[in-house]
Amino acid sequence: MSSPDMNSPRQPAKALARVASLLSPSCKQASRLQSEGMDRPLSFFEKFGLRIHLFLCKWCRRYGEQLKFLRNAAHQCEDHQPAQKLSSEARERIKQRLQSERE
Amino acid sequence: MTENDSTKQLPPGTAAGQPESGKLSDPERWVEEHGDFLFKYALVRLRDAARAEDLVQETFLAALKGGKSFAGRSAEKTWLIGIMKNKIADHFRKASRETSFTDMAFYADQENDQFVADGHSQGHWLMESAPSDWSFEPGANLDSVAFWKAFRECAGKLPKNINAAFCLREIDEIETKEVCRILNISENNLWVMLHRARMALRKCLEINWFEKNA
Repeated sequence: MSSPDMNSPRQPAKALARVASLLSPSCKQASRLQSEGMDRPLSFFEKFGLRIHLFLCKWCRRYGEQLKFLRNAAHQCEDHQPAQKLSSEARERIKQRLQSERE
Repeated sequence: MTENDSTKQLPPGTAAGQPESGKLSDPERWVEEHGDFLFKYALVRLRDAARAEDLVQETFLAALKGGKSFAGRSAEKTWLIGIMKNKIADHFRKASRETSFTDMAFYADQENDQFVADGHSQGHWLMESAPSDWSFEPGANLDSVAFWKAFRECAGKLPKNINAAFCLREIDEIETKEVCRILNISENNLWVMLHRARMALRKCLEINWFEKNA
């Protein structure tokens, strides 16, 4: 086990299949990669495969643009929340509760 | 308001029932000055008015026990928001524990239902669920009251645990590692939840906003 070729994959076919799926992800995989790319740095191979996929697939390009739109919208959604005030009942209830706590 | 002795400060969460009226600003004034802001802050994240009211009350109660006083109104507000953030994190942590597996299964199905399940084009978008061309003018959407209503309605459909992850990451813009710490979940788990949240939200907005307004 301590020989120099310890690093070579023991199952070359499996490793190749993994590399192939990294280099050529399906739309399902690409959609997940595009989302994860917003939360963590993708690996070199993930980026490479995703680039190729996006070059070829207009649906996934759209998907990526739409995810960016959603993120931007979520960042702003608090500013667009209609003005919401505590109801006068809730206001009174909370005041009374705070008063009773102080006594 | 007889004394204002800083040495009497108590750590948060202790000393219920001790006389501490001296060093506090008037709680009635708190409710008037900060109540609406805190309520809206909670409502945006929880989307449940009754729970949001509860959290406002819990925030003020914790503030009473924490018993600090501030020179300025903005310092006081910042302090109260800090307490509110912790209350919301507690609420989210609980929600992420309580959400049933059927919610997760629902989202797994929803994801799978958008792609070809097997055969030659396995993993490709199904014809009917491929992202359509939103052909939007982004500015126009974000200025529309109706768009934000649709956005809130779609976000409101997310299961509680996924909503918790989505709010912390996308509304509060907290780093993933910190979100994982707050919700006590693994990064892998968080990535999956965010992926499903985005996918569901995208689909819902496409159906309920972009296709209706095309």
